Amino acid sequence: MTRPISALRGAGEARLQFALYAAVCLAIFLVPLAVGDDFLLNRYARYLVLGMVAMALSLSWGYAGILNLGQALSFGLGSYCMAMALKLGTVPVHTGSDGLPDFMVWNNVETLPWFWVPFHSTAFAILAGIAVPVLVACVLGWFIFRGRVTGVFVAIITLATLVVANLLIIDRQPYTGGFNGITDLAQLSLFGFTFDAYSKSTYYLVAACLTVSLFACLALTRSKAGLILQAIRDDERRVRFFGYDVAAYKMLALAVSAAVAGLAGMLYTVVMEFASPTFLDVSLSLSIVIWCAVGGRQSLLGAMLGAILIAGMQGALSESEAFLDTWMLVMGAIFVTVVLVLPNGLAGLVSAGAHRLAAMLASRDPRRGETVHLGKPAEDRP
Amino acid sequence: MDFFIQQLMTGLSIGSILLLVALGLAIIYGSMGVINMAHGEFVMLGAYGAWAMNAYFGLGLLASLAFVFVGVGAFGFAVERGVIRFLYRRPLDTILATWGIGVMLQQAVRLFAGGELRYVEMPSLLSGTVSVFGVIVPGYRVFIFLFVAALFLVTWFLMFRTSFGTRLRAVVQDRQTAMCFGVNADRVYSLTFAYGAGLAGLAGALVAPLKSVSPEMGGAYVVDAFFVVVLGGVQSLFGTVASAALLGQMSGSLAYLANDTIAKALVLLAIIVLIRFRPQGLFATKVRS
Repeated sequence: MTRPISALRGAGEARLQFALYAAVCLAIFLVPLAVGDDFLLNRYARYLVLGMVAMALSLSWGYAGILNLGQALSFGLGSYCMAMALKLGTVPVHTGSDGLPDFMVWNNVETLPWFWVPFHSTAFAILAGIAVPVLVACVLGWFIFRGRVTGVFVAIITLATLVVANLLIIDRQPYTGGFNGITDLAQLSLFGFTFDAYSKSTYYLVAACLTVSLFACLALTRSKAGLILQAIRDDERRVRFFGYDVAAYKMLALAVSAAVAGLAGMLYTVVMEFASPTFLDVSLSLSIVIWCAVGGRQSLLGAMLGAILIAGMQGALSESEAFLDTWMLVMGAIFVTVVLVLPNGLAGLVSAGAHRLAAMLASRDPRRGETVHLGKPAEDRP
Repeated sequence: MDFFIQQLMTGLSIGSILLLVALGLAIIYGSMGVINMAHGEFVMLGAYGAWAMNAYFGLGLLASLAFVFVGVGAFGFAVERGVIRFLYRRPLDTILATWGIGVMLQQAVRLFAGGELRYVEMPSLLSGTVSVFGVIVPGYRVFIFLFVAALFLVTWFLMFRTSFGTRLRAVVQDRQTAMCFGVNADRVYSLTFAYGAGLAGLAGALVAPLKSVSPEMGGAYVVDAFFVVVLGGVQSLFGTVASAALLGQMSGSLAYLANDTIAKALVLLAIIVLIRFRPQGLFATKVRS
């Protein structure tokens, strides 16, 4: 049985993990030196954003045991916040008075709705892109966890919430652009600098946000709160008996995960240059779960790399003639196999290898023979 | 008065289709604790089965029902043997694995049957209309209603009046003890899963004439059916009926009061609140945990 990566607790192993994370981030920053094509860079930036949202899910699912099937909700909300600001900043072609967005004009909306007004400020939009998902996650978390709802029912409630939000956004076309989403956006400009979606600058923006959030989440998992979250995942009742407020910790995990997903959503709008209801639909949300599961739900880095790997493969396979019809079949098969054989994903495999190596080294050095293992092998409870 | 009967009939019609799809899911989830995300794809397979029977063998819809039931049931049996049985101790992972199976089924059907919409003809015997309490209702809807009622009775009989049903309930209550008494738990589970899958296949074949048949059609049904099961309460067949009727009437009347989308959102919100306060469902029977 593979052990969770978080069980690597020795100081040396902690340093090794830190070095591994840093090396991957460095490699991400070096990519533009090798790739000159702006079109490719845009696509890679897209994969990085998806990696970020999978990493956010790993925090709540892998570390706290909350299977959030509505992860795309936070992602989509962030993406719409950014799109609203960029829409108001665009050079209007078909507008009514006061730079009203074109789709509102088509839907006979006469004045800008009140909740659109503050989005004239980009700073407000960025704040909202994180605050709105966090707020939603807190309310939802309070609602779910205060009632001690667990396991499968958490998955159902989060999924249902996502479907409701998706239906509402499609239905309220005059205010949200409905099925078409929000298109024809301006480019993001911060501190007088404009980020062109097809350029190195946007790639670096994404890479920087990814690095910062990855290390922030790593710090959280290594803190006391992170340990309590893992304990909750392994045996919730025992942690409650110790006197910890389990619901509050779970809400924390959900909120931090939502913040990262919201940030990723904003970046996705910048990279894709539109926002659409497909950013918060069920199939994207389940895809995020899959990336996370294949990469390794109990490893932030694993989940992130899993997303980048699979999304990249999807991009490549679905474009090549030979795999045009079969790549979904291939993905499904890979996924079923991973769930059956590798419950901790590819990261679990790597971690098991590392442990075997460490054990071999330890047998030579008697002082390092004792390894402390936190947590049981991953096993979901109903 | 006519209006109410009309509304009631719409609700009953929606409810009977919901129950038809949910029954198989309820049996699988209720007795095995497996959340079968591929259930919608089993429904889709049934619809394609009915279409293929007609296109290749010239069989009518009613004649093909038996073949569809056996075919999809056999497929369900294979899925249980090949994948599900390894995951009984990891219920959350069954969600993921069955979703993967669903994706593969969709794509496989798209490859072999083509992605375009297919149509299954309604049996000519049932294509007329019937007058029920002074309201004109399509005959086929009445047929589905009666068929579902019959299917439910058969299922109830199977569960509570046959030795297979007794063994299944024994395994659900206490697997170890049941096995000590010589019940082959693995076999009981496989057959149960197969039966649930077969029911899904029947559902697909029966709804095929009402809507067009496409590889993606399952998704629309599985979510609704799942909520029926959760609302009804695990392991309660009558709860499933009651909640299908309730959800059917709710969707029917909300769709009349607001638009379809808002109706759906409201039903979902009601379900979310319900799960929060009664995760065991509205009509749960008492079970020792």
